[in-house]
Amino acid sequence: MSQTGRGSLWAGLYCPDLPLRAVWDIQSGAGAIAVHDHRRGQARIFQACRIATHHGIRAGMTLSQALALLPQLQSRPRNPSMEQHALEQIALAAYDHSHQISLAPPDTVLLEIAGSQRLHGGLRPLLSGLTQTLGQQGFTIHCGIASVPAAARLLARKDQHATTPEQLKPMLDALPVDTLDLSARQHQSITGCGLHRLKDLVRMGAPERARRFGSALNIELDQLYGRQPTPLAAWHPPERYRQRLELPVASDRSDALLFAANRALDHLGNWLHARDRALSALHITLEREDAGNPIALGLSLAQPGFDRTRLLEMLALKLERIRLPAPIAALALKAETTLEHRPPQADLWDGHNRGDAWPALLDRLRARLGDSGLSSIATHADQRPELSWRWVPPGTTQPCLETRPRPTWLLPDPRPCQRHEFHLEDGPERIEAGWWDGQNCRRDYWIARDRKGRQVWVFQEYEPRSGWFLHGLFEGA
Amino acid sequence: MADPQSLQQILTRRSDLWRGRQRPRTRCTATGQAELDAWLPDGGWPHGRLIELLPTSLGCGELELLLPLLTEQTRQGLPVLLVAPPLVPCPQHLHHAGILLNHLVVIRSSDQALWAAEQSLKSGVCGSVLVWHPSGRVDARSIRRLQLASRASEAPTFLVYRPGQQPPPSLSALRLGLEPGPMLRLLRGDGPTRTLHLGRPNVIDLATRRQQITGDR
Repeated sequence: MSQTGRGSLWAGLYCPDLPLRAVWDIQSGAGAIAVHDHRRGQARIFQACRIATHHGIRAGMTLSQALALLPQLQSRPRNPSMEQHALEQIALAAYDHSHQISLAPPDTVLLEIAGSQRLHGGLRPLLSGLTQTLGQQGFTIHCGIASVPAAARLLARKDQHATTPEQLKPMLDALPVDTLDLSARQHQSITGCGLHRLKDLVRMGAPERARRFGSALNIELDQLYGRQPTPLAAWHPPERYRQRLELPVASDRSDALLFAANRALDHLGNWLHARDRALSALHITLEREDAGNPIALGLSLAQPGFDRTRLLEMLALKLERIRLPAPIAALALKAETTLEHRPPQADLWDGHNRGDAWPALLDRLRARLGDSGLSSIATHADQRPELSWRWVPPGTTQPCLETRPRPTWLLPDPRPCQRHEFHLEDGPERIEAGWWDGQNCRRDYWIARDRKGRQVWVFQEYEPRSGWFLHGLFEGA
Repeated sequence: MADPQSLQQILTRRSDLWRGRQRPRTRCTATGQAELDAWLPDGGWPHGRLIELLPTSLGCGELELLLPLLTEQTRQGLPVLLVAPPLVPCPQHLHHAGILLNHLVVIRSSDQALWAAEQSLKSGVCGSVLVWHPSGRVDARSIRRLQLASRASEAPTFLVYRPGQQPPPSLSALRLGLEPGPMLRLLRGDGPTRTLHLGRPNVIDLATRRQQITGDR
């Protein structure tokens, strides 16, 4: 990987409140929130939101202290896997701004931007576009630019930009030593030597440094100043899309669920875009707070694509139909996708997108009526009229081989009737079939007229029952 | 001084303006039967309005009456919706009438019939929408909603009542009674109440029928 080459430029995207953002994924917008972790057997505040900080909550406080200070504070334990997930979301959102992305856990994403800045119209539009996209998804981002990935990561914490290697050195020199990832012991021994800025460290000879502070620091400094390449693993979006979102407060209100789903669709949209795939079905599992059976909802799309307003509308229709037995604690999403990607096409003349509106309508109807709620009707090659038609998914076609006259309407099941109710007009048409599948029947069909003057289709059955049955209505005559 | 010609044009453009007997001709689609076209007030099925059909009994010819229209629309590639038909439309018959079955969608559940019809009309992509009113009480408000939705449609919209149901007093453009025969009765529309006996387009000629049967044997 030519990362320190003359042409390359790296952007570090640093999310300062990532631990907080990861566990409080959906901003409840209400009240003070914080994350805590366990140090030396005590729960201590790791990070607190602005409201909590305003009330005097500081990182490092024990949880009990914090709660004494602010009883309404809500705190959750840190969750490294959710932090990793949040970091991947940042990477996903930034995916089309760079050809090379790697994660620098715990809180930074690195991307190479020299190759893509011209595409985005320069460095400034690229960065503002990035921060805006991420801001819409609820991430606060600090951006650092440097020709070396390790330096970009460090500069991101200070929001500093060094677009040329010449600018980079003085900027790095001026950084305080505590921006480096140092252990408490290292930090103590470095500051104990009276070294406060990176330039003080650099001025010291390498063997001396290694002896005093360990050789790992030398490697870190070499990588920072670009004397040694930084090992990086390229990141790619996952092959399959799965996501789990916890609601801030378990709720059985559909608007709360829709809000969470809306946030989830952000990520799904990014993922589909990055993978260049089209959504064909979305499976949403609602996990109950009381750990009862989860509720599964399936949204299938008549035409692959991604239209979030339509998906939200379909979800709203689905939620309307069900009654939630218990408050929902989390949503899990699984996407079924296809490579068949058809971008929306509009009519050249009137701008209406008819090709898209019909599948959209089918989806909307299906979301409320269920899959069996709407169908096309197709012929089926069978002698027996009650088996000669099928409900099929809309748009399916079957060849029709029947040439004998058939009524306009069929009764779903033949209805017993009396011979004297009708005046037989034409017939008989003998149907004797079904000996091959055990539903043997032998009947004579007649076109008859009933007392209301309608033309009807009746049959006299000999096998398996005997008697007269009404099976259809002719219209028009 | 305004040009009187332009005033005339303005009046003609406003189809919702009441101008006594001199009604502007609404856009309409041919019914596929010359006799019926001549008889209907607008010379065809009017667009963007709800056409109400009141058969005296089930299967009086309400579907048969519209088959030429539906055939034409499915052949143009427009999807046609049958919303909550009371019985199963026989696919063989529809096929022989010329309908492309893959463009025909049947909404099977009758409890959401009016909602489904409204959605389909609002989408503006459908050809004709035929709604069979669910049995039971007629809700004037839902009919009104359907009427408003039908304005968005570029094709005629039909609402078929169950025998015995009374349509609410409404601004419906056209209301037709249907009796076996089929006999059409203009209950509401432009002009006096009048009736039309349609020919027997669908009766099977006995001679041909016998020929078919003997041919089969």
